Amino acid sequence: MKIENTKAQMRKGVLEYCILSILKNGEAYPSEIIDKLKEGKLIVVEGTLYPLLTRLKNEGILSYRWEESKSGPPRKYYQLTEKGNGFLKELEVTWDELVNAVRLTSK
Amino acid sequence: MNQTVTINISGIVFHIEVDAYEELKSYLNKIKSYFNDSQEREEIMADIESRIAELFSEKITQMNQVVLMRDVQEVIEIMGKPEQYVTEEDEQEETAEKTQSNRSGGEKKFFRNPDERVLGGVCSGIAAYFGFDTIWMRLFFVMTTLFMGFGPAIYIILWIVIPEAKTASDKLQMKGEPINIDNIGKKVEEEADKVNEKLKNINTSKVGHALEQFFAGLGNVLKTIFLAFGKVLGVALLMLGLLLAVWFLVGLFDDSIILTYTSSGVSALESGAFFELVFSSEDQFTIFLAGLIIVLAIPIIGLILGGLKMLFGFSTNNGLGISLTILWFIGLFTLATLAIIVATEHKANEKISAVKLLPSAYHAYALKANEDNVPGELMLEADEFMIAVKDDRFYCNELELTVEKSETDSFELVVVTKAKGKTSKDAMGRARAVDYHMQVQDSNLVFDRFWSTLKEHKIRGQQVKLVLKLPVGKTIYLDDSLDGLIYNIENVTDTWDHYMLGKKWIMLDEGLTCLDCEDIEGVSSSELDSVLTKELSISGN
Repeated sequence: MKIENTKAQMRKGVLEYCILSILKNGEAYPSEIIDKLKEGKLIVVEGTLYPLLTRLKNEGILSYRWEESKSGPPRKYYQLTEKGNGFLKELEVTWDELVNAVRLTSK
Repeated sequence: MNQTVTINISGIVFHIEVDAYEELKSYLNKIKSYFNDSQEREEIMADIESRIAELFSEKITQMNQVVLMRDVQEVIEIMGKPEQYVTEEDEQEETAEKTQSNRSGGEKKFFRNPDERVLGGVCSGIAAYFGFDTIWMRLFFVMTTLFMGFGPAIYIILWIVIPEAKTASDKLQMKGEPINIDNIGKKVEEEADKVNEKLKNINTSKVGHALEQFFAGLGNVLKTIFLAFGKVLGVALLMLGLLLAVWFLVGLFDDSIILTYTSSGVSALESGAFFELVFSSEDQFTIFLAGLIIVLAIPIIGLILGGLKMLFGFSTNNGLGISLTILWFIGLFTLATLAIIVATEHKANEKISAVKLLPSAYHAYALKANEDNVPGELMLEADEFMIAVKDDRFYCNELELTVEKSETDSFELVVVTKAKGKTSKDAMGRARAVDYHMQVQDSNLVFDRFWSTLKEHKIRGQQVKLVLKLPVGKTIYLDDSLDGLIYNIENVTDTWDHYMLGKKWIMLDEGLTCLDCEDIEGVSSSELDSVLTKELSISGN
């Protein structure tokens, strides 16, 4: 078992939660999301994000709207749907549980 | 100066250098190949392209209006390679979605392999299916073509029946690799590399290219055939070498036996004992053995090395071959020198004669050979020539008997012994040492087939010649057992030795005459009458 694999698995689960958390504060377009995720060292390459956003959108958790950009192609601004909000709440509960579990077990 | 192309990414126009464009295109194609669901793929690709356009726009300035290779590489680094972000979960979902079409993933299927082919890729396809090296399959076809002839027919049938592996998933199935994103991606990448290679290799002239390809193909076919032949030859050489090596070692450490080939076929001789009789000293014999081993062993080593080389294609350094060759010539030189030394010991040639008086009371004598078995242990048998050893003596049948007219009334046997040596004294001593026996029992003369001498005298051209001096008027009967012993007996009818056997012969003034031959020529009837009367009176007694 490679340590890299394990790290990737852990990061992946948290990734969705983090994306939804970012969007909780309002809509954002991918570059903004990427900047925040990079800041938190959650992703290394940008390509990671796009399939994930598309899948979340297809599942009805996210929606987007187009907006013109001055410096490039039009941008997709993503936001949480109602379903997405519920989904995020569930994740928050799970996250708290996990943090609790880690704190307890790693003492 | 570099050529640029114009591209449209997400509705924005960019000028991009050609090589940068190729790189970008293959990158996007690779990402595409990672997503199976077409609707999802379109959307993801649009998002990614739009992000790439954004990144490019940041790089375009008033000064630098063209997208360069460096820019593309930077963007790829930012976006990451698909294998870096298409996670296992996605993979599972996608394969789950596609279970129906992908159920055969991991199962093997027969395909012809277009990437590794000489003719139709049948051999490499089968080899890929069974998972062994293509060369064995090709070798099999070459062998069946050469030895049984049905190879081409089978090949053509298989060529028609087995489909060619066209897509990446075909090629994966051909090798039985599971069809998943990683593998397909790898395949697509490989293909792209190949296409690029081909594009680079395209020559200005298309005809030239086609011809070149044809000859390259022909060359490959020939090369494969030669390689296959090489392997077959290699195996043959190796087998022969090993066989000879075993024979050689057995001969060396066991009762060394050398097979000699003579006109009468292959016969065996015990080399050690024989050569002891040839060489005058122990040292000579040892040197001879060393020379013989070198001269015989080196070609055997050469065969084995050559076979291994052909079979496994490894190369030995030249030094080994050269030193082996030099050593071989040294061995040959040693043997030649010994041969000369031994030849000098045959320089002088001497003979001695001994006369033995035989009882002259009888009119008729019967001549026979002693049919006893070979004395001692037979050591060498080549054609009619035999040598046997017993205790400290050796026995030889180098012996001949002839009949001549006696100048006197006495009936006698002259035993002439010949021998060779370094000096005449040496040769004389050797001739004297030869011991020959024959028995006289009444009118029966029984000749031994062998003479003997001490081993220490060695084989030096010793020979015994018997001359029977027969007085006129006496009759001899030549028994069949004398075959091979009598030699060139002169007679009035010039009858050959072999046909003189089993007949009675009388010595007349003219020479030896046949008494009971049916077709006698050259004898006057009156003479014959008188002889026959005499003969009758003898038998009447």
